Amino acid sequence: MNTIRKRELQGYFYTPSGYVFIGVFLLVSSVLFYMQILRQRSGDLPTFIAEMCYLWMLLSPILTMRLLAEEKQKKTDQLLLTSPVSLPGIVIGKYLAAVTVLLITAGLTLLFALVVALYGRVYPAELAVNYLGFILQGCAFVALDLYLSGCAGTPVTAAVLAFGANFLLWILDLLETVVQAEWLSEILKFLSLYRRNEPFMMGQLSFAGILFDLSFIAVFLVLTVFHLDRKRYGR
Amino acid sequence: MIELEHVTKLYGGIPALRDVSLHVPAGQTVGLLGRNGAGKTTALNLMTGYFPPTEGKVRIGGQDMLADPRSCKRMIGYLPERPPLYDEMSVEDYLVFVSELREVVRKANRKHVDEIIELCALKEVRQRVIGHLSKGYRQRVGIAQALCGAPEILILDEPTVGLDPKQTVEMRELIRRLGEDHTVLFSSHILSEVQQLCSRVIILHEGRMIQSIDLAEKDADTVRLKLRAAGPKDALVNALKGLKCVLKAEAEKSPEEGTAAIALTCRTADEQGRATDQIFRLLAAANAPIRELREERDTLEEIFLRETE
Repeated sequence: MNTIRKRELQGYFYTPSGYVFIGVFLLVSSVLFYMQILRQRSGDLPTFIAEMCYLWMLLSPILTMRLLAEEKQKKTDQLLLTSPVSLPGIVIGKYLAAVTVLLITAGLTLLFALVVALYGRVYPAELAVNYLGFILQGCAFVALDLYLSGCAGTPVTAAVLAFGANFLLWILDLLETVVQAEWLSEILKFLSLYRRNEPFMMGQLSFAGILFDLSFIAVFLVLTVFHLDRKRYGR
Repeated sequence: MIELEHVTKLYGGIPALRDVSLHVPAGQTVGLLGRNGAGKTTALNLMTGYFPPTEGKVRIGGQDMLADPRSCKRMIGYLPERPPLYDEMSVEDYLVFVSELREVVRKANRKHVDEIIELCALKEVRQRVIGHLSKGYRQRVGIAQALCGAPEILILDEPTVGLDPKQTVEMRELIRRLGEDHTVLFSSHILSEVQQLCSRVIILHEGRMIQSIDLAEKDADTVRLKLRAAGPKDALVNALKGLKCVLKAEAEKSPEEGTAAIALTCRTADEQGRATDQIFRLLAAANAPIRELREERDTLEEIFLRETE
């Protein structure tokens, strides 16, 4: 598992994909930071972090598109599946590699907090909770998109599928305000990743939110393993 | 070492292999022959645990692949039809990665990889990025990755496909050398290659195993001979038919005036001695000097075409 994680992580930085992900994330968040904080002379970090959460939705496909789809396309999965590594080992290894890049990116965005701290006030406990929500949401998207990478035949299809799914989750949030039936609205509310993230952005440590995100991640990792295994059986 | 027991593999209900049972003994180099779509790659993928059979059992070194995939896979090095290479990695990094994947202890890894690089003659490209290598080198890196983790069994899917003549010869030489201390199973279209390298050939056709031929076997009961001798052909044919060991004698068109060309089917030997000795004595007594006498064996090509017709 660790061998796979290490190779994938090298893969991110041997190819442009890791740099593209981190670069674009930081570029767009810098623009947001300028508009939200610097131009407004505001110290409202939670709102800014909540906005950065939307970037996971847009950019997580870059991180996950290659992970499984490219192995299949280039037939390098033959190496992994005929080596003495278990399928969960492969999936978790790849997931952790993507999460590592995500954490590096999240770590770099702390510079924004540093800038605010220099000129204003930052509440460390609140910031920690904001970041916990920020990171958990990113990890949830990566798990979902990793599953879709396993379903797709090529990295491009994987990226399109992942972007579509992420977008759909976002729309769930909007749909919820439109649907008439209350029970449906409740279900949508339950499934909405963004809604689950709200307490974190208000500085509340939400155990339900943590549990939901962790379960979301676990479900998609297990689904990925099942899906790959099912495909081996040719079903 | 490798056993398939009544193995069937269906792809979405369509059979790729049907009730195949075969056995590759330890230490042998075995060729897997078959036309395109005969099921060769499917058979190799099953043996390496890439996917499980729909029915039947795969055993590697006595262990069941489904029950204990890890120890089975540890015994096998596999070069698929398209070498599973990560283009962005350097040759050395890639081999270190594969060795780690194959559970080589970290301390011993560098030395292990150095040995493989030496054996596969990859020294001058060890720092190069795989994506920049020629087809020949890529194939060699493919073989090198199969050797990572020192497996006892090597399974190679069409290892010489797409190589130029020189590379093909080098690859064959490498396989021959590896065959000295590994059990090797490889698939190929090239019959002469299989004949050169293998002690046994397995022929697959339309998903079934139709022949397993021991190429080392020399003691066939009957032998076919081509004879050319100076003398009248009818008289010689009649004289040869008089020998007990001769089962069939037919005159053929001779390329040289005054000689007779005769195709013979004989028992290899009987109580009077070897068939060739008896023919020699008979023709010497008849004062019909032999110009040519050679044994004709079924070439692999003939067997293959006959069996897959």
